[in-house]
Amino acid sequence: MKRAHRKIHLLLWLVLGPLMALTLVLALHHRPAEPVNDTLPEALSKAAG
Amino acid sequence: MSHGYKGVQWNPFKKRFDLWMLAGIGLYLGVFIGASAFAQPPGEAFTPVQILIRATGTLAFLLLTFVLCIGPLARLTDRFKPFLYNRRHVGVTTFLIALIHAGLVTLWYHGFSATDPLVSLLVSNPRYDNLAGFPFESLGLAALIVLFLMAATSHDYWNTNLGPGFWKALHMGVYLAYALLVAHIALGAIQAEKHPLYVWLLCAASFTVIGLHVLTGVASLRPADRAAALDGWLKVARVEDMQDARARIIRPANAEAIAVFRQGQIISAVSNVCRHQGGPLGEGKIVDGCITCPWHGFQYRLEDGRSPPPYTEKIATYATRILDGVVYVNQEANPPGTPQAPSLIGDSA
Repeated sequence: MKRAHRKIHLLLWLVLGPLMALTLVLALHHRPAEPVNDTLPEALSKAAG
Repeated sequence: MSHGYKGVQWNPFKKRFDLWMLAGIGLYLGVFIGASAFAQPPGEAFTPVQILIRATGTLAFLLLTFVLCIGPLARLTDRFKPFLYNRRHVGVTTFLIALIHAGLVTLWYHGFSATDPLVSLLVSNPRYDNLAGFPFESLGLAALIVLFLMAATSHDYWNTNLGPGFWKALHMGVYLAYALLVAHIALGAIQAEKHPLYVWLLCAASFTVIGLHVLTGVASLRPADRAAALDGWLKVARVEDMQDARARIIRPANAEAIAVFRQGQIISAVSNVCRHQGGPLGEGKIVDGCITCPWHGFQYRLEDGRSPPPYTEKIATYATRILDGVVYVNQEANPPGTPQAPSLIGDSA
């Protein structure tokens, strides 16, 4: 790989790496304690019991 | 190489690799589907389609993780060089599996209403301001589009017509696809998943890929790799430390790296950058008398840096010399394809 590409490659990972880590931390932090199926309307969820 | 194009570049080694890969994929899907069908958590009943969605989704993510680990791992150990040589087929396979996953998801969750399934996928959940209920499907779709661009332009036709530099820059988009996939899973499946295995798998895969790329990236640019020149000559290594049919890579300051090869009793030097996709020639070896790129097997002659006929690629050559058992290379590159007399080990002073 050319030196210029190696530099871009490293730079990309120095940007993407922390972004990915931040996404993981935020996603896990906001995870509901009890998984819920919120794609169903609330009334329908209640009716289904 | 550049002499004509073939739809899929297969040789016996690539065919064997592809068969092993397909067998592995079949085994993974079989084990995943079987285990999911027989070990469903109490109170949950997944349909076969849902199980297949999970199986293809996890497989595509694991395959892409593996694809992204191959490059850095091949720099750390020669054992991963065969995977590097076959990486393109694994990448295209990853896209096809991701496409099956996306197709199943779209049809299963959005295909039973009057709205167009793709429109439904994109507009049914507009909560872009809510992290917990984020429309993660759009992240997966964006990743799939990037993977499609990678797969569609993976052929040498595009590499030649776009130019190796632009092609390489375009294919770095796979890193963006991976970041999108991590977000897609973290904000999607992980939010509703009870089993901690998925969380650990996602975190382990992500941090392995990040760690490997940052570590090898820093190592390839560290100042210690820069060779100091004396009167234009760079010290390579002692003759006895140079492995037969292999190279030492020398990185001059402010210039491209040089690959210095030993073949038996002769020493020759060429540019470290393959004309095909910029692969590191010095990490390859000499096969049938030719320097062979570890990425896709492009070959060059030691004596003049030209590909053997009928191929037409040319790379720069460099003068070498041996003094007191130490190999040196001149940092001034000859024009690509210039014949350069090798240094003979027996003739050293």
